[in-house]
Amino acid sequence: MNNEEAKFILHGYRPNGRDTTDATFCAALDQARLDADLGQWFAGARAFDAAISAKLSAAPPPAGLREAILAGGRLTEPSSTASSWWHSRGLLAAAAGVAVLLALSVGFWPKTAAAREALQDFAVADAKHSGTHGGEGADTDALQAMLSNPQVRLGRDLPVNFAALRKAGCRTVTFREREVLEVCFNRDGVWFHCYIAQRADFAALAASAAPVLSERGGASLAAWGDAAHYFVVVSKAGRAPLEKIL
Amino acid sequence: MASEIFSQLVDAHYAPLYRFALSLTKSASDAGDLTQQTFFIWAKQGHSLRDAGKAKSWLFTTLYREFLRARRRAGRVTALEDLSPVEADPPAPAVDVVAGMDASLVLEALLEVDEIYRAPLTLFYLQEFSYREIAELLEVPIGTVMSRLSRGKAQLRASLARKETGGRGKVVPFNQTSARKLS
Repeated sequence: MNNEEAKFILHGYRPNGRDTTDATFCAALDQARLDADLGQWFAGARAFDAAISAKLSAAPPPAGLREAILAGGRLTEPSSTASSWWHSRGLLAAAAGVAVLLALSVGFWPKTAAAREALQDFAVADAKHSGTHGGEGADTDALQAMLSNPQVRLGRDLPVNFAALRKAGCRTVTFREREVLEVCFNRDGVWFHCYIAQRADFAALAASAAPVLSERGGASLAAWGDAAHYFVVVSKAGRAPLEKIL
Repeated sequence: MASEIFSQLVDAHYAPLYRFALSLTKSASDAGDLTQQTFFIWAKQGHSLRDAGKAKSWLFTTLYREFLRARRRAGRVTALEDLSPVEADPPAPAVDVVAGMDASLVLEALLEVDEIYRAPLTLFYLQEFSYREIAELLEVPIGTVMSRLSRGKAQLRASLARKETGGRGKVVPFNQTSARKLS
């Protein structure tokens, strides 16, 4: 092994020393101990790598990202395919009992409200974490311009072509394995986040045709729907700016 | 309990995952989305992972696959043959100079490294994975990882040297919104 080959291998040696016992590095490390030039190069390379690692570790994640992830996790239902609970007679019997109770109460179960609130929680969590977006294609620009127009009152049908916006590169977020569009817009210096879900993707969602205002997680939001879409507009600046645009 | 495990998992891995995502997407908001999306997939499927010790690898692999999936959708693919040759061991700023540099400047230099090298390089500098694990994660041979680390470091040194001399080339701000967002 010449020095160039040793350098090539030592490029994969982590500066924290975790690779000390890896046999791949043994010969190259031995050579670096015996060859002064290689040894000097290796010491410099390790110090350089350690400095870069320290800088990379100093890059802070955005504020609110952790909370947004945790909120998303709480709203996410695990897949049921992983466990074979039905192999247990006891659990099967218990499940049968629960099924009977569910069957009796299903008529009263507020499915639509739960789905609506889950989407609203998700929208607020995302809006609190994410920055502002835009400039992703002509369709998105047109919708953003319309939403930003101070003459336009929101809370009714919006000219949304979901497929075209998605194709144009409009930001999407994933909620319950379905894509939801998000467009940011600004009115009078206040940023709003508009989330657009397709009714076809969320059969359980029911929405009022008129906007319903609420407070959630420290943000204000307005939600309404039309024949094809469900809209949630989130404001981090309080209720008053939101009321102003409706 | 499941919620507690999920919280522990997030606390242990969300920061390095975000940094890896940032190096891939070059955009803070895309990186945040990608990190969230990865944990979303975990919440849906991750509990089926029998060996909890493999959670870290699973998360990083999933994040990388999600990035590739989104990029394929966006039609952005870097061809290997497009890559220019790199000087073998270009001069770099002295270590104490690098240590004194602002972290954001060092990250900018890292983001200027070609993507094909940047992914293994970032994983290497996060120090969470060995070169073997990086090869498995990126689904490339071990020799390829070594080669990309070598070339990536050369590009990073050159980029840092440019920044040290004040010649900021193609600086990419962290809050830049990419042409297409990730889901």
